[in-house]
Amino acid sequence: MSGSDLNTPGDGLGAATIVGVGLWTPRFASAAARAAGERSDEELKPVGLAFDRRNRRRVSGLGRAMGDAVEEAFVGAGLDPVTTPVIVGSAIGEASTMIGLLDSMWRTREEMSPAAFTVSVHNAASGMISISKKNVGFTTSLAADHDTPFAVLLEGAGLVAASGGPVVVVCADEASPRSLMAEGDTNWDMIAAAVALAPATGQDGSGLANLDLAPAADLPTIAPSEQDPLLTGNPQAGMLDLVDAIARGASGRLRLDRGKGRGYHVALQPLAGAGGSDRGAS
Amino acid sequence: MRPLAVTGYSLISALGRGREQHLAGLAAGRTGLGPSPVPIEFETAVGGLPFELPELGDELQPWSTRLSRMAAVLTADLAEPLARARERWRPERIGVILGTSTAGAETTEVAYREMVEHGTFPGGYDFHRQHTFGASLYVVRALAGVDGPSWMISTACTSSGKSFATAQRLIAAGVIDAAIVGGVDTLCSMTLQGFQSLQALDSGVCRPFSAERNGINIGEGGAFALVERDGDARVLLEAVGETSDAYHISAPHPEGAGARAAMTAALVQAGLEPGDVDHVNAHGTGTALNDIAEAKAIAAVLGREVPVVSTKAFTGHTLGAAAAIEFAFAALAVEEGWIPPALGVDPVDPEIEVSVRPEVQRGEFRRVVSNSFAFGGNNVSLIVGAP
Repeated sequence: MSGSDLNTPGDGLGAATIVGVGLWTPRFASAAARAAGERSDEELKPVGLAFDRRNRRRVSGLGRAMGDAVEEAFVGAGLDPVTTPVIVGSAIGEASTMIGLLDSMWRTREEMSPAAFTVSVHNAASGMISISKKNVGFTTSLAADHDTPFAVLLEGAGLVAASGGPVVVVCADEASPRSLMAEGDTNWDMIAAAVALAPATGQDGSGLANLDLAPAADLPTIAPSEQDPLLTGNPQAGMLDLVDAIARGASGRLRLDRGKGRGYHVALQPLAGAGGSDRGAS
Repeated sequence: MRPLAVTGYSLISALGRGREQHLAGLAAGRTGLGPSPVPIEFETAVGGLPFELPELGDELQPWSTRLSRMAAVLTADLAEPLARARERWRPERIGVILGTSTAGAETTEVAYREMVEHGTFPGGYDFHRQHTFGASLYVVRALAGVDGPSWMISTACTSSGKSFATAQRLIAAGVIDAAIVGGVDTLCSMTLQGFQSLQALDSGVCRPFSAERNGINIGEGGAFALVERDGDARVLLEAVGETSDAYHISAPHPEGAGARAAMTAALVQAGLEPGDVDHVNAHGTGTALNDIAEAKAIAAVLGREVPVVSTKAFTGHTLGAAAAIEFAFAALAVEEGWIPPALGVDPVDPEIEVSVRPEVQRGEFRRVVSNSFAFGGNNVSLIVGAP
């Protein structure tokens, strides 16, 4: 999987070309809106663009945010959602839905909702994306705390290498589940960030950037642009940083865990045709 | 993709701990199901572990949950092949790719109940170290002495099956040389109440493929396997097929289309013909919809004569751990030359057009397909082969 022709040091854990990005945060409905500086004054609600009407009604807010980011990546990369696999990463998953189930058990003592139970699984969103897109191929859902961005990228790069085709990966966590956390714990807002991966190309190839996944190393990294503690506390902040770095055309190493995981990096190099204002800012 | 060497596996379920206790239970046709050890207000048989779990050592106490203690037992029972693998490959070249559906939900639901009833969480409850999916990964890496990439796959009842496929890809790509794969899940009230809300639970012991089947039982347990690029294999992981139904969040495609595609994909990856398969360990939960859809799919892909068994009546449906436990049962069939009886199957449902028999069957089982299907319409078929 290694062998992308990068100027920055890669260590061969996995390589691919990023051909599309997607994003949802409470103030930016898309990566395009964020790149254009179109910040919403009001807190946004995710729409769930990747879902058909029936599944959009069923899916949680977390799932809808994933759906918005995934759809933007699909459309931006020009990929066929009927055949392109989707990999979902979330450190905590459907926590709000689970808390609702716990409340029905211990607080309100009501019958558990079967509909809520079926969408409490970690792969609810990935399953409903496959149903909405009529995609009968591969999908998966995984978790690795603050290393989730690295894990989805490596799983994605592995699938790209095995299949020779594109993959969309999305990382998302809903706002911190305060009712389960201790006083003084860091709180965060929801983030969903996606990238579309394709087989690695040379520097003249099409796409936005080449990436090469790398293990922990004490090396300088691209400075993340996002400083809002309500976003940087989210376990998926590293994926937001990646989408930001691609939009800026940044090159160099980017640490994917905001210092809270095992230290995995991605070596990033923008491709010739990609835009951005921050080339070489490693 | 080349087959991977399975150089060891560990196993816990309602039948006990380790290979010998499972062989004894399976051969005797003895169910491990019984009364629920977690609080519920309805009748159903449940597959709880029949032994006490050892506590974690002091340094891992903050991560101590039932799930992580089960994972610790499974890691300890892999100690010998792990020691050999650490010598052969570097620790950073050994990954930990596991599956679970519940993660720390059992610990959280107990803590949440105490918070609701008494206003505070119990001392020692730590959301980050106990609830999250990554918590038991930390425990396994620490106890196994490995440092490769690690994550939890959580695709409901296919979770642990998909871990085998991820390891295959990472090894094929040269990222790692070996991996601990498999999965683990615990009983919890939330899961039992959830399946009760779906009216899916059998009040007694489940009877997959029987005309008199009446639903599923839930169990807990897990299995880990050490897969390596090559080596002294007990069995081989020959192939994995992964598909989606794209049909319904919780109901299988009525014709088993996704299951059929998963088995076909596994055969293609292994370069095998349908006649090369000697046995199927079915998903076989005991619900009317699942059993009929799966039987149709098996008949269509592998024919009607291949011996089919569901082992859910021995262990209960262990959800995210089911695929790994049934991988181990498939490995036992390959190694031992017999397959367990289909408990409670008589009278077989006339709509089930595959061979499901209530007695132990002996023979040479060189290649076994193990199926797992999940909420989300997720399907996995593993092929386990003789070395």
